[in-house]
Amino acid sequence: MSRARVYRPTMRGWWERHPAYRRYLLREGSSVLLGLYALWLLAGLLALAAGEAAYQGWRDLHGSPWLFGLHLAALLAAAYHAVTWFRLLPLTLPVLRWRGRRPTDRAVVRGAWVVSVALSGGVWLYLLGGVR
Amino acid sequence: MRRSHEPPLWLLFGAGGLLAALLAPALILLTGVVMPVAAEHGIEVLDYHASRELFARPVVGVPVALALGLVLCHAAHRIYHTLRDLGIPAGRGTWWVCYGGAGVAGLLGVGAVVALWW
Amino acid sequence: MSESQRITLAVQRFHPEQDAEPRWQRYAVPYTPDMSVLEGLQYIKDHLDGSLTFRWSCRMAICGSCGCMIDGEPELACHVFLRDYAPGPVWVSALDHFPVQRDLVIDQSDFLEKLETVHAYLIPAGERTAAEGTYRQTPEQMTDYYAYAQCINCLLCYAACPQYGWHPDFVGPGALALLQRYNLDSRDAGSELRHAVVDAEQGVWSCTLVGHCSEVCPKGVDPARAINQNKPGSSARYLLDWLRPGRRRQEGSE
Repeated sequence: MSRARVYRPTMRGWWERHPAYRRYLLREGSSVLLGLYALWLLAGLLALAAGEAAYQGWRDLHGSPWLFGLHLAALLAAAYHAVTWFRLLPLTLPVLRWRGRRPTDRAVVRGAWVVSVALSGGVWLYLLGGVR
Repeated sequence: MRRSHEPPLWLLFGAGGLLAALLAPALILLTGVVMPVAAEHGIEVLDYHASRELFARPVVGVPVALALGLVLCHAAHRIYHTLRDLGIPAGRGTWWVCYGGAGVAGLLGVGAVVALWW
Repeated sequence: MSESQRITLAVQRFHPEQDAEPRWQRYAVPYTPDMSVLEGLQYIKDHLDGSLTFRWSCRMAICGSCGCMIDGEPELACHVFLRDYAPGPVWVSALDHFPVQRDLVIDQSDFLEKLETVHAYLIPAGERTAAEGTYRQTPEQMTDYYAYAQCINCLLCYAACPQYGWHPDFVGPGALALLQRYNLDSRDAGSELRHAVVDAEQGVWSCTLVGHCSEVCPKGVDPARAINQNKPGSSARYLLDWLRPGRRRQEGSE
């Protein structure tokens, strides 16, 4: 058989070919805002170590409309991250057994949300315990 | 076939992702929305003295700093790989900026907690 | 009999001896509600253009031959109906991420080579004689690997995987699902032999869980799960081998 020429397709613009690809990039992109928020909290921690004036300055900035808007965007990104993360969690777990039974995906996802709500509640109580 | 060296990076990415999934929405709501809105009504949430009490203890502060570092590792991993997914040539240099940045940030956080504690 | 409706099929044509690159060619195909897209292609070949080249066999979504892109979605042509694409045109092209040999025919040899590397067969713990009888497996044990055993090697998952598109040396969803099918079979004792593939850069670690592979699989195999449920174990092996130097290093690259 002779070696005929083949056509090799390009990957350029692959994300435009299907909504699933765009959703994937959105999911991956949520980490940018999450990373920015983590850096912002780190800035707060550094300001806290620097002294009262610096820390109060960090707190005061939260009142600005653009930072408030950025936090709302980060909140949406965090929610999208959490929803997709818990949905995919059962796929990244090895085969688990408890008393010979395997947990369903729904059980894993529900369990994750229960832990999230419980931990979040605990963190809120801990942090708001310092409300004056 | 070459053995992959992804596993330790994936574990960091996974830990940071799990922490973010569990706590980020609640935290962003607290510091980004509740804190400024409460301040407008005269209620001070996470003021200087309260925050010092909460985070100056290494048993709290260090895990918090490490958690921030892990979330940054998660972001670094996703950003690095997504750049490559988009066809942008991200090589060793980008790799070090991403993961190195996350590592440095985590260390800075731990440093801040140690400074607070002292 | 009344005039049947017509639908336009826009089909990707590529004959390397005369075409520099693929082009679209439109055909008006009369159709009835029971006709699959494959039957539309067969009508074209039988009545309109005998030079149209495509693979097909069983016509019932079990042989895996007729995979192609239909309106940008990897599908088995026999598995979808022309009526669902009305009024058309129905865009039919070769599966994404594979070299196109001719019209809708892609070069599958990469996948077939990958399949040979994953030890996709039962590797028993030891010799077994007929006197010992057959293997015994409970229905529950079978559910562990049943989904992965449904793979018909249709390659739709490869067409849905951007990582395979970027990195053709990625073993890929189908082959890794078949690897996992044997790893999880209670009669198999060969998972260690398959570690080299799993732990490789081109193994599970090329996967970023886009997840589209599982969405397009016509048999519900869920290759995304097959791949990603190996990541914790692979990570554990990496850490353990790092703590016990010398154990894995000899094996090195294969």
